[in-house]
Amino acid sequence: MDKIYTLGIDIGSTSSKCVVMADGSDVVSSAIIEKGAGTDGVDIVLEKALGDAGITMDDIKMTISTGYGRKSYNGDKDMSELSCHAKGGAYIFGEVATIIDIGGQDAKVLRLDKNGQLQNFVMNDKCAAGTGRFLEVMANVLHVDLNEFGEYDAQATERTPISSTCTVFAESEVISCLANNADVKNIIKGIHYSVASRVAGQAKRVGVVPPVVMTGGVSRNSGVVRALEEELDTSIAVSEDSQLAGAIGAAIYAYESYLKNK
Amino acid sequence: MSNVANVLGKFDVSIAELVKKYQAEGKKMIGVSPIHMPVEMVYASGMIPMGLWGGSGEVSAAKEYFPAFYCSIVQRVMEMSLTGQLDCLSGIMVSIQCDSLKALGQNIRRAVGDKIPYIHVAMAQNRKLECGVDFNETQYRKVKNQLEEIKGDFFSDEDIEKAIKLYNKSKKLMQEFVAVAADYPQIITPSKRSQVLTIANYMDRAEYVELLEELIAELKKEEVKPWDGKKIVTTGIMTSLPSLNEILEENKLAIVEDEVAEESRQFRTLVDEDTDNPIRALAKYLGDIEGCSVMYDADKLRSDMIIEKVKKSGADGVLYVQTKFCDPEEFDYPIFKKALENAGIKMVMIEVDQQMTNFEQARTSLQTFAEML
Repeated sequence: MDKIYTLGIDIGSTSSKCVVMADGSDVVSSAIIEKGAGTDGVDIVLEKALGDAGITMDDIKMTISTGYGRKSYNGDKDMSELSCHAKGGAYIFGEVATIIDIGGQDAKVLRLDKNGQLQNFVMNDKCAAGTGRFLEVMANVLHVDLNEFGEYDAQATERTPISSTCTVFAESEVISCLANNADVKNIIKGIHYSVASRVAGQAKRVGVVPPVVMTGGVSRNSGVVRALEEELDTSIAVSEDSQLAGAIGAAIYAYESYLKNK
Repeated sequence: MSNVANVLGKFDVSIAELVKKYQAEGKKMIGVSPIHMPVEMVYASGMIPMGLWGGSGEVSAAKEYFPAFYCSIVQRVMEMSLTGQLDCLSGIMVSIQCDSLKALGQNIRRAVGDKIPYIHVAMAQNRKLECGVDFNETQYRKVKNQLEEIKGDFFSDEDIEKAIKLYNKSKKLMQEFVAVAADYPQIITPSKRSQVLTIANYMDRAEYVELLEELIAELKKEEVKPWDGKKIVTTGIMTSLPSLNEILEENKLAIVEDEVAEESRQFRTLVDEDTDNPIRALAKYLGDIEGCSVMYDADKLRSDMIIEKVKKSGADGVLYVQTKFCDPEEFDYPIFKKALENAGIKMVMIEVDQQMTNFEQARTSLQTFAEML
């Protein structure tokens, strides 16, 4: 019997992700690019994922877009990234009760029931503090590649306190710390705790129930994961596919939707 | 052919148009701040009460009077008063139900009190006690004197009684409209529902009653069709933001009941009729109100009232629309959230203010909520 291919496209604020799935259960191919909504990122990941899978759009039975730019893609349907991260998180990690998804400009905490269904959620306020954007701003100030933040954090000897209230204030705090010759590694550790304390506050509003996992681009930053584990006093699982959770969820929903409407 | 659209069109009137109409008719208007104000007395005086809910828009001049982190309704009303948008009013009436309103009254009096008479409406916190009703009656008598001074004419207890009966009639009709509209989510969309209910804050109440009677009659002639979306109950201070209602419509979320200050909190409680003292009846009304975040409520009945509304209306969930920096609503939220969780009712909270132009976060939250339901 022919496989049923579906496509999940997650157009975030700073990156685009695409997943081709077979029969709603196997990830055939995937692609990520650090180009988000309003760019040609979606076309690039789409081309790559389809190419790697050795198929064309004609082979795709259904496409669901998600993420901040979900409305800008003309697929079969769009769904919110929270629903898709819940679905994708359950696929990647199996049993999950709490998902922390920190993306480019949003931080969300999702609570799932025993069946993996989204039960409750909370999103960050209209504020960059506690999001990937906050980390990007700090990387620019410190002239450190964001991908190296995790390693710097691991080498820190102490944590320099950084405000979690406002990105702009935190930025001037970091500049002051640099002016006072504070160690960059310690500042980075402080920045990670700043993000973690902000997101932990959100998480406690919906209740943190283990197993806890992390999805979204910031899950690649081991420093933030460590800080969150400490703030929430629980272990947090991450996966190489964490950033793809939204696209995977969208592809699974596309499969379910295709079967329902067939 | 259906006449509903035609009747609904009569509610689609701007406040500016109404102001022009009343000016042309030579009617004076009194601005009335939220909420539970003695509008019946204004109407009895022969003047038109005009709600002061701030509308949508930027805040600039009002920043001289208020910090940035302040209730947007209050900031917008202050902005309107400072930029001459309230000059059409013959008086501005402000209550003291929350800290923000207290400051609004003082600032309006200070800033524009010399050109627009200010009417201060003090309300007793212990509104249910006899002494609280006594206090409120005394305040309302002062309000009556000020209204008579502005109007330049005396109005009687009979005039107030007549106004109470008219307003009670409109309240009953609004309750009926809410119930009937729930059967027609395809026709009475969140935008239409909001338009019908909130224009009551600005329209001559006698005219509004006629229109609403006509609308309900026309609606009832329509065939009830199955709704393929979800049903929700809304709660909060105000939900009449066009973008918010558009998002609800996009996600097929029909409002089947509400517990919103700008909407049903104003018409769910009636004023006693045929008493020998209608001003005291208005004072007692303040004590009869239950479950409103801006009225002292020792028993915190709001959550139970909403749970009851959810059960009665068959709603799938509750939308808590938090007006940014509204303390009374923020104080209620944790109690409310816990009660709904215990009752197994799904809910979502979004934050709004009247300066919002980007609703993307609200869009994501509400789409997720619709998918979750």
